[in-house]
This record gives sequence, C-alpha cells and structure tokens, in this order.
Amino acid sequence: MSGTRAGIGLRAEHHQRLLMERPAIGFVEVHSENFYADGGGALAALARTREVWPVSLHGVGLSLGSAIGVDEWHLDRLARLVERIDPVRISDHACFARAPRLRQAAHVGVDAGAVDGGAVVHGNDLLPIGFNPSSLDILVDNVSRVQDRLRRPLLVENLSAYLAYDDDSIAEPDFLSALCGRAGCALLLDVNNLMVNALNRRAPDPIADCCAFVDALPPHVVGEIHLAGYCETPDLVIDDHGSAVRPAVWAVYEHALQRFGAVPTLIEWDTDLPALDVLLAEAARADDRLARVGR
Amino acid sequence: MTSKEMVAAEAQRQQSLIAALWSADSKALAIAARSLPCQNQAVAAERGLQAYRANAHAHAARALQAACPTVSALIGEQDFAHLAVEHWLACPPRRGDLAQWGASLGDWLDQHPQLADWPYLGDCARLDWACHVAASAADAHFDAGSLSLLADTDPAHLRLVLKPGVAVVVSAWPIVSIREAHAHPEGSAERDLALAQARDALHDGRAENALVARAAFDVSVTAIDAATARWTNELNPGCSLAEALDAIALDSTEESRDASQPRMPQDRGFDFGAWLAMAITTGWLHQVIGLDTGGDASTDAVPEASPVGSSNDSAFGSTTH
Repeated sequence: MSGTRAGIGLRAEHHQRLLMERPAIGFVEVHSENFYADGGGALAALARTREVWPVSLHGVGLSLGSAIGVDEWHLDRLARLVERIDPVRISDHACFARAPRLRQAAHVGVDAGAVDGGAVVHGNDLLPIGFNPSSLDILVDNVSRVQDRLRRPLLVENLSAYLAYDDDSIAEPDFLSALCGRAGCALLLDVNNLMVNALNRRAPDPIADCCAFVDALPPHVVGEIHLAGYCETPDLVIDDHGSAVRPAVWAVYEHALQRFGAVPTLIEWDTDLPALDVLLAEAARADDRLARVGR
Repeated sequence: MTSKEMVAAEAQRQQSLIAALWSADSKALAIAARSLPCQNQAVAAERGLQAYRANAHAHAARALQAACPTVSALIGEQDFAHLAVEHWLACPPRRGDLAQWGASLGDWLDQHPQLADWPYLGDCARLDWACHVAASAADAHFDAGSLSLLADTDPAHLRLVLKPGVAVVVSAWPIVSIREAHAHPEGSAERDLALAQARDALHDGRAENALVARAAFDVSVTAIDAATARWTNELNPGCSLAEALDAIALDSTEESRDASQPRMPQDRGFDFGAWLAMAITTGWLHQVIGLDTGGDASTDAVPEASPVGSSNDSAFGSTTH
C-alpha cells in the first residue's frame, strides 16, 4: 500500500481549524501569487502551515507560454517565495497571459489612445497556446529559464481551454511529453481539465477520450494530479472548481493511477468553498484510490 | 515559414487574443472572434472569448474589491464591480499578481466624468490602496535601543527609518472618517453613527490627512495634521534627520529662524518630541540609524512614506484557476 495522501488547497476560512485539528492530509497547495507580498499575515500563516505539512506552490501567473518570455519581476517573487517556504513542488500552466497591447486596437472597438499601446498586458488568466513546434520552443525556453533560476524542476499543468486552434499540428499529449523530454520538467496532470476539454469537444465517449490522453503520456512523467468539479452551461462546460469531483473524473483518475502509480493528488475547490469537513471527505475519496495502487 | 516566422506568428496570435479580450463591448468581441483561427471548433470562438472575458472581469471586481473596500462600500458593490471592469479595460494589469493591480484607481477616479459629484472618491481610493500596501509590507519591529542615538548624535548624522508600509495620504476631504465608518459591520449602530458623523464632516468641508501604518499584522489609519503629514513625507530614504527638520521648518509658516544656527529636534514649527512619542506608540517608527555607521537598515526593505507601492491583500488572495 502506498503512503501517498491527497492534499487540499489552503484557504483563509479553513486555516485556523486546519492548524488546530491537523488532519492527515498529504500536503497543502496554495497559489504562489497570493504570497508574493514582502510580509504580512497571509505569509506568516503560510509559514506556520509549512511547519505542519509540505506545501506545493501552484502558480497561475508565470505565463510560461508567452512568446515575449517570462516576467523577471514575477520570477523574482517566485524565487523569493521558494526560498522562504521550501515547497515540495512548484508548478504552473502550459498557457500564456502576457502580450504587448496592439497599437491599433480599433478593430476590436477599443480606443487605442485610451490604453497604453504596445505596453505589456498580463491578462491574469490561463489562455491557450497553439500546439505547434514554435509554441513548444517558446514553452521549453521559458520553463528552462524558470528552472535555471529556481534550480528546481517545475511541474507544468495541462489546461482546460475554451478556445482551440484550427492550425494545431501536434496532439496535446505528444506536445506535453516533448516538453517534459526537452525541458526536463514534469507534468501536473489535471484530470478535470481533460474531462472539461473532452466535453467541450463534444467527444462521443468523454471517459475513453480522457483515458486515451492518459495512455499517450509516458508512465513516469506525472508528478502531481489535480481533481476538481466543473459546471455545465447550455453551450460550454466551465472549469469552475466549485463543486465535488464528478464520477466520470473519478473514473479517469483511477485509470491514471493505474498508469502513473500513486501520484500526489490535490482536491481543487476554489469557488463556493465548502466546509473543511466536506473538503477533507473529498480528499479521503482520493486517498482510498491512492491506497489501492502501489508505486 | 521559417522557425523565426513561426514564432512571430505565435506571438501575433497571443497579441490578437489579448486584444480580443480587451474588446470594448460584445459587438467588438464578436468581430475579434472572427479573426482568430478557431472557426472549425465545437465551441464557437465568440463563446470561448466570452468565457475568458467573464472570468477576467470577475477577477477584476474581486481584486479591486479586496484592495479598495471603502470605495466599493461608498458606491455599492454592484456598481463598483462595473467600475472595476471599466478600470480593467482602461488600465490593464501589467503583472501576473492581481494584488498589484489598482494603484492607479484613485487618479483614474479623479478623471472619471460620471463621478464628478463624488470628488472625494479618488482620495478614498488612495487611502484604501495605502492600507492594501501596508497589509503586506515587510514585517519590521521597533528597535527601541536605537533611540539612544537621538541623545548623543548630531541630527545631521542620523536618519529616522519608518516601518515598511507607512504612508501618508493628504486630502481635502474627511477620508479617515469615511474609511472608519465603512469599516464597521453592516447594519451595526456604530456604523450608522459613524456614517452620520462622516456625512457631517463632508458637509462641513473637514479635511483629514491620513497616516497609514501597520502594528503586527493590523493596519492602522490615523488622522494627522498637515505638519505631521509634511514631516512624515520628509523622512524619505537618504534624508538625514537634520535635513528633514530643515525641510519641515522651511515648509512651516515660521520662516523667521536664523538659518545659520544648527537645527535641533525640538525646533519650533513642528513638535518633534510629540511626533516621536506618537510614532513609537502607534508603531510608525522602525529605527534610528547613524548615517556614518549605516545602521542595520539593510536588513529590512527601506520604506518610503508614500501611498504608492506593491502588495497583496491580507487574506489568501483571490486567484481561482
């Protein structure tokens, strides 16, 4: 039986009870950017948490796929946080968010004079990159840059994307495998994201679609798994992290554990945050499945 | 295409997507969607863009609400959310940490044509932002031992270092009363009373300058007089105590002193002793350092008495991905 246990996100609402009761969780995960401050209460709370559990730093703003590269300011802050917290893992996404504003923005109805044309904007979202050789080159360069600076390997997460590009020339699992091979990073496999994408692609058999994605990845490339809930609108499935993990996602998770072994797993629940007990019960469901596989 | 051209094409794609997300309205968004290479997908490009834009706008409202709670309370949460989106479109974030976004809200509000009847909003936003910055400024303790330098060292060779996050907001409006009133719990008798008092202060044209500081992890806002505001602003990095005293004396209405005489801390025009006592009890002062020895100022970020800076909010942030 494996000793790997699931982790949960650290939330201000749960922090006090968590530290008092010290439940048996494998790790806590935080969004790195929420702790980029010089000091203050949140950072102190994270330091206290780190004394009890390993902390996984999960970034949402490095913009690893940006053609203009990684923001040095951002990387400085991340490096400082890594120094302070000594995280068990560091991750971010295979996406972009930074780009220079178009100087001529009239075609999208924005008064170009009203904004700083040409200045770099950070969209503060996880925007899809193309799956092609040049976006792979960009991603490899940026991931390598971050790893060189941090002197630690990075985990890169697959996206749930609401846009897909007609001109993609590499299948996503092949793209991510090549990234890991070339940059020496690992994958953070978000199983819920696989399902959201499969549903939005109108895949006839979404579970089979996700399992095929899992099977296309090398068996030793996944360093962490994310599980979460999604919500359905009439025309789009939204990855809102606002509910329990769906049965279909559990099914793909079980398949992933068969392929990758007992990988540290996070229950992501960011909106409509439930009581701590509900979150811990969800983590226990992952623990049950982790316990069934060895590594 | 050469590989260089392919990378340029990828850069162009990213630039186009960012531009699309900053479309002024849904019509512009639909036009932008048609220009993206996403026309043969199950999800229409326009729908995808709408989802990203809705997410970004929710981020904008949440981030600005956390940083500027007083302004939000003043104009109402729903209207503030609309205003946050307007600000997002006009002044996009530069960094991937949303706690950094919003520093220019006060100046932007000053220029907003539909808010001319709320001339104090800009100052309220600057005070909110100063508190937001202070909440996550570097931690620093008061170095009581360093006070002894004041007794035996020439002020020309001393510098007063304020704690990180200390900031002054000068205003012609009762911004401290307004902020404090809105900090009381909604529906409480204290809030009703404080709101009534703030309204009276506004009606009477009372001006309040604010000094923002942090004791432990709690941010405090103190109403200070104009001389204290000027003095606190004089204590910028690199300025000796003597230079600060000279500057405050020049600023004051008492200009009749003999400039050739050395200036002492107890000089008139500004009560340094009273300020020092308050700075210690209120937690503004970090330490006194000797300029010859350099002190240990390098151990902490040297603060600036300015409301402009960088911060995260005191909760665990609001990013959701």
